[in-house]
Amino acid sequence: MMASAFILWLAVCLSGSWAVDRGNFKTCDQSAFCKRQRALKPTESPYRALLETMELTNTRLTLQLINDNNKVRLLLELYRLQGNITRVKINELKPLKPRYEVPDVLIREPPTEPLSLLSQDENGVVLSLGADSQRVIVSARPFRLDIMEGREVLMSLNSRGLLAFEHLRIRKDTQAEPEAENKEEADQTNQAEVAKEEGEKVDDGMWEETFKSHSDSKPNGPSAVSLDFSLPGVEHVYGIPEHADTLRLKTTDNGDPYRLYNLDVFQYELYNPMALYGAVPVMLAHNAQRTTGIFWLNAAETWVDISSNTAGKTVFGKMLDYVQGSSETPQTDVRWISESGIIDVFIMLGPTAKDVFSQYASLTGTQSFPPLSSLAYHQCRWNYNDQEDVKAVDMGFDEHDIPYDFIWLDIEHTDGKRYFTWDPHKFATPKEMLQGLMDKKRKMVAIVDPHIKVDSSYKIHNEIRSRGYYIKNKDGGDYEGWCWPGSAGYPDFTRADMRSWWASMFAYDQYEGSMENLYTWNDMNEPSVFNGPEVTMHKDATHGDWEHRDVHNLYGFYVQMATAEGQIQRSGGVERPFVLTRAFFAGSQRYGAVWTGDNAAEWDHLKISIPMCLSLGLVGISFCGADVGGFFKTPSSELLVRWYQTGAYQPFFRAHAHLDTPRREPWLFGPENTALIREAVRQRYTLLPYWYLQFYHTHRTGEPVMRPLWVEYPQDPATFALDDEFLIGRDLLVHPVTEEGARGVTAYLPGKNEVWFDVNTFQKHNGAQNLYIPVTMNSIPVFQRGGSIIPRKLRVRRSSTCMEHDPYTLYVALNPQRTAEGELYIDDGHTFNYEKKEFVHRRLSFVSNILSSVDLAPDAQFTTPSWIERVVILGASKPSNVTLKTADGQESQLEFDFDSSMSVLTLRKPGMNAGADWTVTLK
Amino acid sequence: MRFHIVIAAVFCCGFADSRKIRGISSSYKRFYRERKSFLCIDGSKIIPFEQVNDDYCDCDDGSDEPGTSACPRGRFYCTNLGFRPHYIPSSRVNDGICDCCDASDEYNSHAHCQNTCWNLGQRERAYVEGQMRTLDEGLQLKQQLIEEGVLLWREKQAQLRELQQAAEDLQIKLEEHRRRKNEAEQTLKALEAGDSGLRHHNNTITSMFQLLDSNKDARITVDELQAKVTVIHDEGRLLSEDEAVALLGGAHQMDLTKFRHTLWDILTKGDRVKIKDTHGSEDSTVGEDSHLKAADRAAKWEATNLKKVEEAYDTVNMEISDLQKKLAIDYGTDWEFLFLNSQCYKLKVYEYTYTLCPFNQVTQENTAGTQVSLGMWGMWAGAPKNHYSQMVYENGEPCWQGGSRSATVTLTCGTETALRSVKEPSKCQYIMDFQTPVACQPVLKQRGIHSEL
Repeated sequence: MMASAFILWLAVCLSGSWAVDRGNFKTCDQSAFCKRQRALKPTESPYRALLETMELTNTRLTLQLINDNNKVRLLLELYRLQGNITRVKINELKPLKPRYEVPDVLIREPPTEPLSLLSQDENGVVLSLGADSQRVIVSARPFRLDIMEGREVLMSLNSRGLLAFEHLRIRKDTQAEPEAENKEEADQTNQAEVAKEEGEKVDDGMWEETFKSHSDSKPNGPSAVSLDFSLPGVEHVYGIPEHADTLRLKTTDNGDPYRLYNLDVFQYELYNPMALYGAVPVMLAHNAQRTTGIFWLNAAETWVDISSNTAGKTVFGKMLDYVQGSSETPQTDVRWISESGIIDVFIMLGPTAKDVFSQYASLTGTQSFPPLSSLAYHQCRWNYNDQEDVKAVDMGFDEHDIPYDFIWLDIEHTDGKRYFTWDPHKFATPKEMLQGLMDKKRKMVAIVDPHIKVDSSYKIHNEIRSRGYYIKNKDGGDYEGWCWPGSAGYPDFTRADMRSWWASMFAYDQYEGSMENLYTWNDMNEPSVFNGPEVTMHKDATHGDWEHRDVHNLYGFYVQMATAEGQIQRSGGVERPFVLTRAFFAGSQRYGAVWTGDNAAEWDHLKISIPMCLSLGLVGISFCGADVGGFFKTPSSELLVRWYQTGAYQPFFRAHAHLDTPRREPWLFGPENTALIREAVRQRYTLLPYWYLQFYHTHRTGEPVMRPLWVEYPQDPATFALDDEFLIGRDLLVHPVTEEGARGVTAYLPGKNEVWFDVNTFQKHNGAQNLYIPVTMNSIPVFQRGGSIIPRKLRVRRSSTCMEHDPYTLYVALNPQRTAEGELYIDDGHTFNYEKKEFVHRRLSFVSNILSSVDLAPDAQFTTPSWIERVVILGASKPSNVTLKTADGQESQLEFDFDSSMSVLTLRKPGMNAGADWTVTLK
Repeated sequence: MRFHIVIAAVFCCGFADSRKIRGISSSYKRFYRERKSFLCIDGSKIIPFEQVNDDYCDCDDGSDEPGTSACPRGRFYCTNLGFRPHYIPSSRVNDGICDCCDASDEYNSHAHCQNTCWNLGQRERAYVEGQMRTLDEGLQLKQQLIEEGVLLWREKQAQLRELQQAAEDLQIKLEEHRRRKNEAEQTLKALEAGDSGLRHHNNTITSMFQLLDSNKDARITVDELQAKVTVIHDEGRLLSEDEAVALLGGAHQMDLTKFRHTLWDILTKGDRVKIKDTHGSEDSTVGEDSHLKAADRAAKWEATNLKKVEEAYDTVNMEISDLQKKLAIDYGTDWEFLFLNSQCYKLKVYEYTYTLCPFNQVTQENTAGTQVSLGMWGMWAGAPKNHYSQMVYENGEPCWQGGSRSATVTLTCGTETALRSVKEPSKCQYIMDFQTPVACQPVLKQRGIHSEL
């Protein structure tokens, strides 16, 4: 029942082959600035630091750089930021007009720490970076920066001479008289003359470029920036999502660089560096000694080249080097190239991964603390057809006793793709529908995309147009592109006034039919423009003074920001928002969840969901998931079950399906598969207290919820490239089955002197081994780390909200030292009251046969009716008696059951309140 | 809060015999007789009786906690006096949502559940009564329709027989016409052959004789000869009587036989005399042609007639095959669905109008009038027990992503025959609800309201 225009469009897109039409997207060679920049090869840098221009204040060093070829001067700023971060900014000293500096991504102007001059001569200066014997050496000729710790170089900038800065210039061939504007700037004229003398050649694509049928007028001419970073001793780099690639980034010498340019890629291909929906220009570098990070704060189209001096070497070659001791140090070289803006880079010096997470969090903030229910299961489909359909699916879950918290509505729920409206026939009484869900303590998400139907009878469009909030085309009119509704305008979300107007549209009296259990999904916010270059917006469209070119990768970030703000405002600042976005940028973690876009029902897509979400977690975005089942195509029931089993252990757990695929609600594949899916979803619900705790942690620290093993085992090289298994927090290791017809999987259990317990059988395994695990369709290989305590709620109900006051079961997994530690976090699950210290946060520890609960936040206040119904101690020995001592000093004997075959001790119904102090002593 | 539960439990224990174990049906009471200990129903474990419904799961089968949410696989019995009793998963006990109409599942939650069983029961009874009436009415209508169906079936059979008879008659007619046509064609062929050979010889002697025999008395006389024959070298001069007698072989008259052997040769081969130039010979040719034409017309006439009969025969045969095809469809054990054939039922859903023509096809039409086939009659597809509860229409118009549209029609009991709903849960797969008295099943009648009382 889709509009025929859409079918036509899809048919055109499909034309023949299934996979992505690569021809729709640029290679580096087809992107003029990338081609220009990549043509520059490592050489002696033409840049020279003018030491006599150096100014050092308490908080920053400034210094001019000059390009000896064209005499254009740059201004270098260097800051020492709190928390072991160095910020390097490079801009033109006197640009023709201001160059774009990314606003709103940093949560504040980063606080600085004093810099001090250690020494200086005609070749350079040495600055102290605080206490850790860390120094920056600024070399003058050629210009380079080296960051040292002791005698070790941690990172070098421009050591390969690839600093390049295309200064803004007057167009020479067709330009009118420049005098009028420029006379007053003597320097400028000089520069221009010098440039002329240099005979700087005008490349193709500097002032105009064409891709397919789209031409990009470039009124500002060339403006690219580029810088190289060398990482001695580093062989593993990660991050710079979003790419459908392995966790460990590959070298790019033999192909295109990794591209960061938010694009709506139709049926994306796996294992390549093509750009996808989101971009976070943050890279982590790791070796057994240290983890560091580079945050390249630039929102324009960006390409990242990676090369390595060990990339080509075989393991044997490396061993030989090691034995002979003659080898050069392994080194990874990275080069960032952006189309416009300035160089503004944050060098996060670790030294641990967790330090880098906290450093990055101090710059861009942490993951928003989501409502607990949003960590439960989401049921989505393009589309649930009408209210009756929604009701039937809702009932289906109850009939088959499968819990779910959110049901989703895709674009068809609207009145003709006019967001904030409902189809008058199919969704005639949305509040009735929402009330029906609310009665079952369930919620709904409806899609609100940022393309606005151009239709003079549509309130939202009229308001945006009359307020002048639309992005403009190069000729100054409202930019119009083709998207789901047909011709559409794109609100300028880079404007604060536009965002606050947008936020106000979520008020209950503005968004008709909305209620407090209706949340939002922002799709197509790359932005997607069906008839635009690379299915996105023309770069010469304008956002006030800036070109779309400058702000492109920020658009989706702003859309989600404004939407989340709207949800907060509608509740008067009480309720936490939940907003899912497809496009994102650095800082997007502050506004909600992200999913990996339009994947496909294929085994490789299931596999890639792991590295894709791991990469996002490393750069702050923890609330990540992939469409369970795969969006395009139809999964076999085996693939669907395996995907549920995997998704149940990934942060954002939502099933979704394309309009053209057959229905796939969990009960449609026979009773056996229904039971398997039910079990996977139930496992998710039992673990919600642990998931919630992990999100509380990431909200506080920026540490990823779903994390690669190397983060916890940084000295174990066997973990460095693992991306078919992962940790949730520190304590759960998951190796999902992602192979068709699998009979077994081999999981690497890390940690010398550690043990891991199979969460289903309670069998104990030693760490630092590859463990073969036979699997059936039932199996989800999950292990609890010896030394941890994990709270679960075993009474799985219809929705997470129904389980709010349920009792806990504590799983205490003992390590070889017979100790264990964990936490319990409880709050109301949905408001910002936790910021007012309304929560329970307790440390649970098992030491010397005493399990105790200690308050981690004595100044916090919260009362929970939840109690501890069971304690399961794994790796225990049989006690003769067990005594519970509660806060009031009362002692009582606890009943217990000991399973000697598995060494599992179960304490029966100790019954203490989950928020109270208590100890349980085994004798 | 837990302590309240414990206290309540202890309090209850004081009245051991009369104590009601929460969440069980009367048939399970025997498992929960007050003793010192309780044996899990699966026999796996013995626990102290105090641990029954103490909000902790001891038995793997959940049987020790029928009245709490403690066991993951437990179930709770809603007695629902006045309505239907039923089990709910024990996870729905005290979850803040009213599940049992007697409110018994929310004995310790913030939900304020009303006992709605009486209302529900009334509504249910009213509903069931309505259903019963519908069913009764439906079954009566169905009986009529069955009778009509039988009649219709007989009628169709009779129609078939008539058609078959007509076909047989036509077959005979057809053979007759074929024969006639053949004959006419033979005649025509013969005429055509004469024109090219025999006609030139035989017919010319006769016709010349006839030409000369002006008075048509089968004899050529002297006068007749003088009137028609002339001397070659002197065309104006008449034959003398003597010359004429000489040509007649010395007699005053000559018959055809003699003419053939004497005068014919003189006239056609000799160089003394010839027949006067008149248009007489042309006349004779025209006469010959009109014969041919007549024969030709006759042949054509017969061919046309045959074609007509053939067409009639084909039409009848087609009708027979159509009817046979229709009659070959499974119209139910009593031909009760037969009446649906050749009917169509419409329903407008949002912007589309759907048309179901049972045993024929399903179509969808948009407001612009564009019609799309959603499938042609495929088969009955109900479960073996209720084979006639579902129809499938397949091979409708192709979908752009592959495959073709199809529609599954579920038949339900009702007093009217009408299309009740159309849905498209997945793209190109339609589900229809079709109500008709003939879908009414007498077995339904046995269902009623069970009550604990």
